[in-house]
Amino acid sequence: MSSNKKSPYVTFQGSQNFRLRIVLSTLSGKPIKIEKIRSTDLNPGLKDFEISFLRLMESVTNGSQIEISYTGTTVIYRPGIIVGGSHTHNCPPSKPVGYFVEPLLYLAPFSKKKFSIVLRGITSSHHDAGVEAIKWGLLPILEKFGVRECALHTLKRGSPPLGGGEVHLVVDTLIAQPITIHELERPMISAIKGVSYSTRVSPSLVNRMIDGAKKVLKNVGCQVNITADVWRGENSGKSPGWGITLIGETKKGWCYFAEAIGDSGAIPEEVGEMVAYHLLEEIESSGAIGRTQLPLAITFMVIGKEDIGRLRIAKAEIDERFVVLLRDIKKIFGTEVLLKEVNDGSDHSDDYIVTVKGNGFTNANKKIA
Amino acid sequence: MEQSNKAHRKTKEKNTAKKKLHTQGHNAKAFAVSAPGKMARQMQRSSDVNERKLHVPMVDRTPDDDPPPVIVAVVGPPGTGKTTLIKSLIRRMTKTTLNDINGPITVVSGKHRRLTFIECPADDLNSMVDVAKIADLVLLLIDGNFGFEMETMEFLNIAQTHGMPRVLGVTTHLDLFRSQSTLRTSKKRLKHRFWTEVYQGAKLFYLSGVINGRYPDREILNLSRFISVMKFRPLKWRNEHPYLLADRITDLTHPEKIEREGKQIDRKVALYGYLHGTALPSISGTKVHIAGVGDFPISQVEKLPDPCPTPGYQQKLDDYEREKMKEEGSTSVTPKRRKRLDDKDKLIYAPMSDVGGILMDKDAVYINVGKKNEDESFVPGQERGEGEKLVTSLQLAEKSIAENFEGVGIQLFSNGTELHSVEPEEDEFVEEEEQVEGSNKGRANMRKPKVYGKSIQEDDDDIDLDAIPSDDENEDVEDDSEPRMEEIDFGDNNKSTNTAETDSEFELSDNDDNWETDVANKLQANKTKRRRKWDIGKLIYMNNIEPEDCIKRWKGEDEEDESDDEGESDIEKDEQEFFTKKTGVMDQNKETFNDLEKFVPYFEKIEKLVEKWKSLDSINDRFIGASMKSKTEDAEGDSNEDEVFGDFEDLEDENQEEENQDEVEDDEGEQSDDSFTNFDKEEKKDLTMDEERELNAAKKEKYRKQFEIEEGENFKEDDPDNEFDTWYELQKAKMAKQLEINKTELDDMTPEQRQKIEGYKAGSYVRIVFDDVPMEFIENFDARFPIIMGGLLPTELKFGIIKGRLRRHRWHKKILKTNDPLVVSLGWRRFQTLPIYTTTDSRTRTRMLKYTPEHTFCNASFYGPLCSPNTPFCGVQIVANSDTGGGFRIAATGVIEELDVDTEIVKKLKLIGYPYKIFKNTAFIKDMFSSAMEVARFEGAQIKTVSGIRGEIKRALSKPDGHFRATFEDKVLMSDTVILRSWYPVRIKRFYNPVTSLLLEKKTEWKGVRLTGKIRADLNIETPTNPDSAYKKVERVERHFNGLKIPKAIQKDLPFKSQIHQMKPQKKKTYMAKRAVVMGGEEKKARAFMQKVLTISRAKDEKRKSKKADQRKERLKRLAKTEEAKLEKEKEKKKEYFAKNGKKRSSTTEDSRGSKRR
Repeated sequence: MSSNKKSPYVTFQGSQNFRLRIVLSTLSGKPIKIEKIRSTDLNPGLKDFEISFLRLMESVTNGSQIEISYTGTTVIYRPGIIVGGSHTHNCPPSKPVGYFVEPLLYLAPFSKKKFSIVLRGITSSHHDAGVEAIKWGLLPILEKFGVRECALHTLKRGSPPLGGGEVHLVVDTLIAQPITIHELERPMISAIKGVSYSTRVSPSLVNRMIDGAKKVLKNVGCQVNITADVWRGENSGKSPGWGITLIGETKKGWCYFAEAIGDSGAIPEEVGEMVAYHLLEEIESSGAIGRTQLPLAITFMVIGKEDIGRLRIAKAEIDERFVVLLRDIKKIFGTEVLLKEVNDGSDHSDDYIVTVKGNGFTNANKKIA
Repeated sequence: MEQSNKAHRKTKEKNTAKKKLHTQGHNAKAFAVSAPGKMARQMQRSSDVNERKLHVPMVDRTPDDDPPPVIVAVVGPPGTGKTTLIKSLIRRMTKTTLNDINGPITVVSGKHRRLTFIECPADDLNSMVDVAKIADLVLLLIDGNFGFEMETMEFLNIAQTHGMPRVLGVTTHLDLFRSQSTLRTSKKRLKHRFWTEVYQGAKLFYLSGVINGRYPDREILNLSRFISVMKFRPLKWRNEHPYLLADRITDLTHPEKIEREGKQIDRKVALYGYLHGTALPSISGTKVHIAGVGDFPISQVEKLPDPCPTPGYQQKLDDYEREKMKEEGSTSVTPKRRKRLDDKDKLIYAPMSDVGGILMDKDAVYINVGKKNEDESFVPGQERGEGEKLVTSLQLAEKSIAENFEGVGIQLFSNGTELHSVEPEEDEFVEEEEQVEGSNKGRANMRKPKVYGKSIQEDDDDIDLDAIPSDDENEDVEDDSEPRMEEIDFGDNNKSTNTAETDSEFELSDNDDNWETDVANKLQANKTKRRRKWDIGKLIYMNNIEPEDCIKRWKGEDEEDESDDEGESDIEKDEQEFFTKKTGVMDQNKETFNDLEKFVPYFEKIEKLVEKWKSLDSINDRFIGASMKSKTEDAEGDSNEDEVFGDFEDLEDENQEEENQDEVEDDEGEQSDDSFTNFDKEEKKDLTMDEERELNAAKKEKYRKQFEIEEGENFKEDDPDNEFDTWYELQKAKMAKQLEINKTELDDMTPEQRQKIEGYKAGSYVRIVFDDVPMEFIENFDARFPIIMGGLLPTELKFGIIKGRLRRHRWHKKILKTNDPLVVSLGWRRFQTLPIYTTTDSRTRTRMLKYTPEHTFCNASFYGPLCSPNTPFCGVQIVANSDTGGGFRIAATGVIEELDVDTEIVKKLKLIGYPYKIFKNTAFIKDMFSSAMEVARFEGAQIKTVSGIRGEIKRALSKPDGHFRATFEDKVLMSDTVILRSWYPVRIKRFYNPVTSLLLEKKTEWKGVRLTGKIRADLNIETPTNPDSAYKKVERVERHFNGLKIPKAIQKDLPFKSQIHQMKPQKKKTYMAKRAVVMGGEEKKARAFMQKVLTISRAKDEKRKSKKADQRKERLKRLAKTEEAKLEKEKEKKKEYFAKNGKKRSSTTEDSRGSKRR
């Protein structure tokens, strides 16, 4: 630390957590330098989707400077001001739109103008957030932090590999600061809902997935409501595909989700079952929020008011990602979080309470009056 | 003698309440609403009054316990008695007489209140700006004889833009009024003027003359009482930033370094003072702004013992001591609580004014030896007395004690060799460090004061130190930091074990220092069970451990305990499940680490999941429906359920939570009892009424909670009949609750955790060290000018274009010119920049204005450090005293609207050309451009003639360069002028020049970039004028247009209605023309007569007029003469008056310091 005190950049190494680092840098306004991006790889440097992401960042901000070294293994990013506005972004076929929408959610509430971004490409994949996952899984988290008017519209679905989908991200709420939240309990799940969708394949697959999921979930004791969503015609993209997303909803506004898509040759019932099991697993291993929602929530807590916010997480949620997240946050914002064991005598006594003092960030980009 | 008694006094006819009710002749209560209109008006009025009291709810972040001292700034023009006032107040509060007032003076004024007095130098605008930003209370001194002076007005206006502090007017020199009536009227006049400036009904104090160099005690007593009960409203800016008023600075640069490298090197400087505002983050390298010096990263912060603790705080310490004593078994007496401040509590802390001559520091004690005018003491050879001799002899010592013994060894045996000490190698580094430190330390470890809140040096080294493995670990040490198994052992209260096991961090400091830690540990003892484990909170932030390692180590408590020595015994443990599980974890690690970008988290293999989720028992309690089901299964709501729902009580409330814990414990107790439910059932009949009621109540409560769970948050949020009547109250309550949560959460933390999470909270006395501060700051230090350090938010570190709404101050004499330098005071900073004034043309473009408009807002864009929108600012043109005339210096005030990295400002540019060849609708235009290239740039541009015919630029002509062809909607005339209206972008000059007034020797003489007018005046350049821009009389040549000629052929075909009717010229003479009139006889005579009469009268008139003009001239002359005489007389009078009364003013203008010791 002391060695790069003089250096104007916060320096990171490796390609991991790339988007979050760029996002945190943009929020904090601190320039960052990411070195050794896949430097030992056969194919070193930034990948096409990362370049595409940087382009997207350039278009939603004003005055950002991105310097990429000749080999592409080093990136210097000097953030500008988040401006938002209307843009269209064509995502590369290597990553779905979810890859690009996810980081935008961190920035959208703090921009100068409202966000209205159309992203074209694949709408679902194995590794990245699907459209439903964002819509039902991440937007509710934003809502908890005070971003009420945000929506993700699926204009066209596009399954891998060819894609051809189109989604529209609209964030109309511009807030000065996220609300400080306190969630000291594991919230109770009131209903399970889900979407089972398909493009360019027989609608029966959708129903078979639903059956598979319902079989597993019949014992949970609350309402299970899975919608079939079959896309036909020109809005269904270029490739056949199908998948399912399940969401456990709570009355308090938190939610848990699991999703998967089917490969060719996969059995729909099995995919449905698997997702249902994943949902159960996710519910078990989550405190107030799931593992996939954790970075968003923690980041918003860190940039909150100078008050103390609290969030209950399960022990299973403390994994490498969490550690990397917290280290990155500390590096950029200097904020540390406090993990406190819960000793309330309930069943989940190995839960932790994450205590965060907001750093008093305010959205300075927004114009007054 | 007859006893004389007082005559019996008859009881008065008392106006009892009952009688009052009946004054109207009837019982008023019986006819409560007798006048509905009046009542409505009353209600309206009272609600109006209430509404006016409301302010935007804002969180007050000043800590309740041990708040920072209130900053009382004493402001006023020179010679109004600021110093005298401070002296009198200090004398009143602490019974100390100060000779010299230098820098801030902190005194204890109440049980929980301290005041810091600062005197604002009257002759420095910069200091006035700084003081206005930090003062909580302003004592505005006004000379009763002169009324409001320019400085006062300026200060009020500055203060207003930076969030008005409380202002108390203090009028002095009232003893100079001879007649009571003039005194009264002038008091009244002053008061009303003050009210218009501050607010209606603002308090204005009147101080009469000076007695014994102080104001009358009675008046000062009143004033001090007024001050000590004053309440303050949080101000937005100060509620978002930490700040500090330095009451002491020291140069920590190694003197040898200065000697070696010269005076010019950058210094290491420590600022001392109380923190105000929000908590200062404890991360080293945090940038702060020192007003008048610049931005600097903090290299070290340290909390020092409070030099001026309040009695309330002392009491707390005493209470703690007593607790401790009690624990040890000895009895102690509770001291009497006093209502008044004890004399020993009336502390004063004014390091710059050196009260008492002794000054203690963390690492040194400074003794003020004598006064300057006395002869030098401590001169070797001329000591006066034993003490001095001792000291001088100490100075004489050439070698330190260690050096004296160097080379001296111990001879164990008479024939043995001398044994010399062998330096332990690992200590070398530490000692070296100590030597470096020690050189500027003076005496180390002189004082061991009690510190409230341990001072933790926020160096990363510290963390490393802390991470050095304790002795029981013999792993390889990579880097030099390796996490240490933290042994949490709080079972016994034995102090010695405690200290032994605390972090090495603690061991660095004195044992006495960390009583707080002890307490915190003790507090935690109940909570934490005795176990050995990795602390995840620390592991996470140890950067040298890979995240996967980190998790592994942390989870190791259940997995690696067994597999500690993997080599030998692991394989024997053939628990298949365990093994596979472990590999699973490993796989996950690898996978996720390689691709952290992956959104979908890790899940087990599907087969496992199927196995695991055969029964949903483990998460049954997470589903509302499921728990309901299980509940209905149980006949009686047994305690198991109680436990499930027990913690769904008001979760936010900490106290309740604690109660909950207790409850839960109770429940557990109950549970064991309740295992005999059936017995209970049988015994139920025997329950008494009370018990049954209790049971029912419990049941009811359970149902209520159940309902709440199902309804979720909505139940509370949008409840229209919550306990708060108004939105305002609700917000207030929310804030209060959040503050409470903050407090309890922070109190729960250990001191070092708290330091990390919260930072240094307001009210703590800190020492902040800065590296590389310009030497001028130290060399030219003058205690008279306040030093203010303000924390900066992340946005404030960035530079960019700031757009704001700005208005020229109505008292400033001149309008402001675009790109003329302006010193802006924005946030903590003062800087010179080049603003461009703009306006928006119906929101389509931002157009540059050359000058600010006279009486209205315009927009201003300038380059500088960003500051969040809604921050007000003010601007002055000149800060140097020598350059200012007597005018009002605040040039503009405004507020920030928007930030951006660049901005589009345009100015209008009209290009004009003239047609030189006209075809039908086409014309060739010349003189607009000078080359075909330029034309090409504007091809297709809209043009317009002065007469309003619109057209378009088509193409450049090949021959005369710059000429072009254009088409119009109609035929243009040769005499028309063609205009191309275009917008030319204006760049904002990226000029930022911080006002570094504190670095100057003459702090009031900071000069930045000169104003345009000043440069012109200095260089004798005439203001350039464009002759075209000059206003001239418009001379229009009468234009003649030829008549419309329509060819006969066409005319013939026109319809009758459109026929042109033209009269032919008359050929014959008309009748009138033919006749000649000849006058004769009477008529002719009459005409001649009339002409004569008129001529005479005209001549008379002329004469009269000229005479009158002469008279007028005379009169004016006379008037002027008398006027002059009058003026002369007045002047004489004034001269006489000021010669008598105004000596003070004349002296102050010459030398303002001189007036200090009047």
